[in-house]
Amino acid sequence: MQIFVNTNYDFIKWRMAAVVFSLVWILVGAAFYLKNGINWGIDFAGGANIVLKFKDKVPMDKLRADLGDASIQQYGKPEENSALIRLPQLGREGDYAGATVAKLVKDLNPESADPNKVDLNYHGRDRIFDLLFTADPDARGTNDAAKKYYADMAQNIINKRSELGLFTNMSQVSSVPGVTANDSRVINQRAYPGAFNVLNQETVGPQVGRELQMKAIWAVILSTLAMGAYLWLRFDLMFGFSAIVCIVHDVLVSLAFLFMIRGEFSLNIVAALLLVVGYSINDTVVTYDRVRENRRKLKQRMTLEEQLNLGVNQTLSRTILTSGSVVIVLIALIIFGGKVIHEFAWILLIGVLAGTYSTVTIVPAVAIAWNNLTGRKHDISGPARSARVEEPRNEAPAPRKRKAV
Amino acid sequence: MNRNVIWKVVLILAVLVVFIVAIIPTANNPEPIKRGLDLKGGTHLVMRVNVGDAVRLETDQAAETLKTQAQKLNLPSVTTRRVNDSTFLAVVPAGVSTADYEKIAKDFLGAYDVSRTPEGALQFKMKTASLTAIERDTIEHAVETIRNRVDALGVTEPIIAPESGNRIVIQLPGVDDPARVKDIIKTTAVLQFRLVEGSTGADAATTLASVPENMKSEVDILPGTREDELGRPVGVEYYAIRKVVPVTGTDLKSARVQKGQLGQPNVGMSFTPDGARKFGALTGANVGRRLAIVLDNKVMSAPNIKSKIEDQGVIEGQFTQQQAADLALVLRSGSLPASLTTLEERTVGPSLGRDSIRQGVLASLIGFIALIAAVLLYYHGAGINAVLALLLNLVILLGMMAYFKATLTLPGIAGIILTLGMAVDSNVLVFERIREELRDGKTVRAAIEQGFSRAFGTIIDTHMTTIISALFLFQFGTGPIKGFAVTLLIGLFASVFTAFFVSRVIFDVVYKPEDRPSTISI
Repeated sequence: MQIFVNTNYDFIKWRMAAVVFSLVWILVGAAFYLKNGINWGIDFAGGANIVLKFKDKVPMDKLRADLGDASIQQYGKPEENSALIRLPQLGREGDYAGATVAKLVKDLNPESADPNKVDLNYHGRDRIFDLLFTADPDARGTNDAAKKYYADMAQNIINKRSELGLFTNMSQVSSVPGVTANDSRVINQRAYPGAFNVLNQETVGPQVGRELQMKAIWAVILSTLAMGAYLWLRFDLMFGFSAIVCIVHDVLVSLAFLFMIRGEFSLNIVAALLLVVGYSINDTVVTYDRVRENRRKLKQRMTLEEQLNLGVNQTLSRTILTSGSVVIVLIALIIFGGKVIHEFAWILLIGVLAGTYSTVTIVPAVAIAWNNLTGRKHDISGPARSARVEEPRNEAPAPRKRKAV
Repeated sequence: MNRNVIWKVVLILAVLVVFIVAIIPTANNPEPIKRGLDLKGGTHLVMRVNVGDAVRLETDQAAETLKTQAQKLNLPSVTTRRVNDSTFLAVVPAGVSTADYEKIAKDFLGAYDVSRTPEGALQFKMKTASLTAIERDTIEHAVETIRNRVDALGVTEPIIAPESGNRIVIQLPGVDDPARVKDIIKTTAVLQFRLVEGSTGADAATTLASVPENMKSEVDILPGTREDELGRPVGVEYYAIRKVVPVTGTDLKSARVQKGQLGQPNVGMSFTPDGARKFGALTGANVGRRLAIVLDNKVMSAPNIKSKIEDQGVIEGQFTQQQAADLALVLRSGSLPASLTTLEERTVGPSLGRDSIRQGVLASLIGFIALIAAVLLYYHGAGINAVLALLLNLVILLGMMAYFKATLTLPGIAGIILTLGMAVDSNVLVFERIREELRDGKTVRAAIEQGFSRAFGTIIDTHMTTIISALFLFQFGTGPIKGFAVTLLIGLFASVFTAFFVSRVIFDVVYKPEDRPSTISI
């Protein structure tokens, strides 16, 4: 099977339309940004995120009444009985999520008034072990073997909890392998399945949030510049510059998309943007490599416009296919990858598509503009000069002898 | 077959075996690739060590030293006042020469620069070198103490590492009760035995009023729990506690949970020989008085000293069994040299981690199968070649992660499948070039030769750009993102090897030069 063999589309003709399209896209994104601002995630804004899984329906009203300034949403499908609680930043450091969870444990579980009672959905293995070992329902004594016996039982109970998500009734505890009737009687007396289990809790203090913001911005800017510098060394100044414009374009298009879907700006999004910086440039490299190869080989007079069109068409199937393979994978991640990497995969997908699109439209547009401004030095003037086509004119070391695709 | 090719095949098989061995779980190593906290469940903490606490303590002690030495030399006593954590002022009585005090400073307080304020007081300011040394020691000591505590909790493979900015990063995989673990880590656990003055009162002022006038400047007012006749907590009361600390937690040899007379748990402790001597002297000289057991500036209990006690002691309080066990644990592991402030916490429960793995692996499998289907459909015979290269790439990637003890995170799983998608890129570059050479009328062998050699530079360039961004990602990222960057980096290196070397060898084996092949499935 083959696609796009010997094509001869005139991409260059459409470049201005493409520039306008990209600008409109980015401006729409900017409008969303101006309207809504950036939806900073907890990583950057600071504050706390807590995900709780409840035994029964999420007690929204109770939670709202209990946690004044928190935003509380359903997490996942309604039948999962889970809620995401987001607390705004307090402006001071501290274990914010932990304190809130402790408060909720107290408020939602009347049994917690007795500090000696164990909440099977909140407390850990050691508490359960302690309860069993102290009560010793199976009369094992206090030797090391007894310790191990009850420690294993406690571990089994915790494993069961991880498997189920949380205990909804005590019979689930009784059915844990190794738990005898005596054990369950003691557990019934001294423990209870609390209203919820903590799936996830995060606190990011103001200091860490601020630092991460700065780090994220610098990482994106510096990696873009590093990429431009690398390509300048390998090719020439015009291409290095075009590549930077292309990367900035791809990042802005991805960001604009994030603003349009009102996605949360998280660490994962920055990871996706950094990857867009490194990956979306790949097909641009492939295409320009071919343009340079042609310049060495071609004997006839050719403007830069014609050279670019030829190169883009010759490498078109490669450009589409290489992006295609990553797009296949990203679509799988978007559909099946789960909540945590959903937005990450979306941003990457848009970035990769933008990268391919900008390779055939934006990069030529910038290169042609550059060429026009610098006296059309990148045109091939004719057979007379073709023996020694100009190599990069900058001070950088000439590229090693190599053949291009 | 060409000997050269045979050697290459052997090399590839050897690589395959080495990496497969690395990823097969064994009895000793049931989890060859470590799962990160986001998959396994666990707690990631960033704590700031408030080193100012330790510096302040040092400064207070220096002021104390100045006073005691002055007393020994029968010099008029000075009043001292701390200006900030590392500076204090000593006001010498009017008309007394400061020279003697400056001599004390020279002999005993080498860590301080002494200067005179316009008002004639002496200012002691800690030298920068000493300050840095204290800060460094404090961090080291804190890391050590936290490690002791975490080890005592039985957390497997914790990471406790100092970071710049007086921070400590703590990673605790598999923790199932983060609230308790955080409490244990954060407890300063400064235990002191100090004498009580005056009587207790419902508020600080009442308590202070009960203290004799000459002792007022020698006591701290500290809170404790008020109990009724049955020992139940009914509120707060305040104690006047002598500032002098004769015996501290460092004098303890061990601490353990035991049962009190009514069966309630308390913490029993025994002293080191040196500690026992100090405790004996303290209790022997003060029979009939009250001795406060102060933990982190709270009075736990203040029993009457009935007789001289040397080696044993008991801390009573309103403990549950667990609290008593935890207190014994922190006392055994030693006190923290400074308080800790939580800057960042990320806890993932084990059931969420389970879901993440399931979804991540499912998405990756589907992506992988779709990728293989697409490659086979588009390149037929050569597609098999690409799929073999891809599988080897996967094996190398996982094997390297096992060897380097890299952790697999959820973004890391996405990273693996993404790397495979990118690895296909290299095959595409080569195959498309071969097709093109074939269209130009080259022979199969020539097209293969040309295809690989001409694609090489491009493959290096495309990999370099992605490697650059992966390096920035690594430098920028925390936890899961770092795991992603590592996966990506390893995968990129593996894909140069598989797409360029392995794929080439497969072509060489299938389309041998001596056979002069005239057709190729591509």
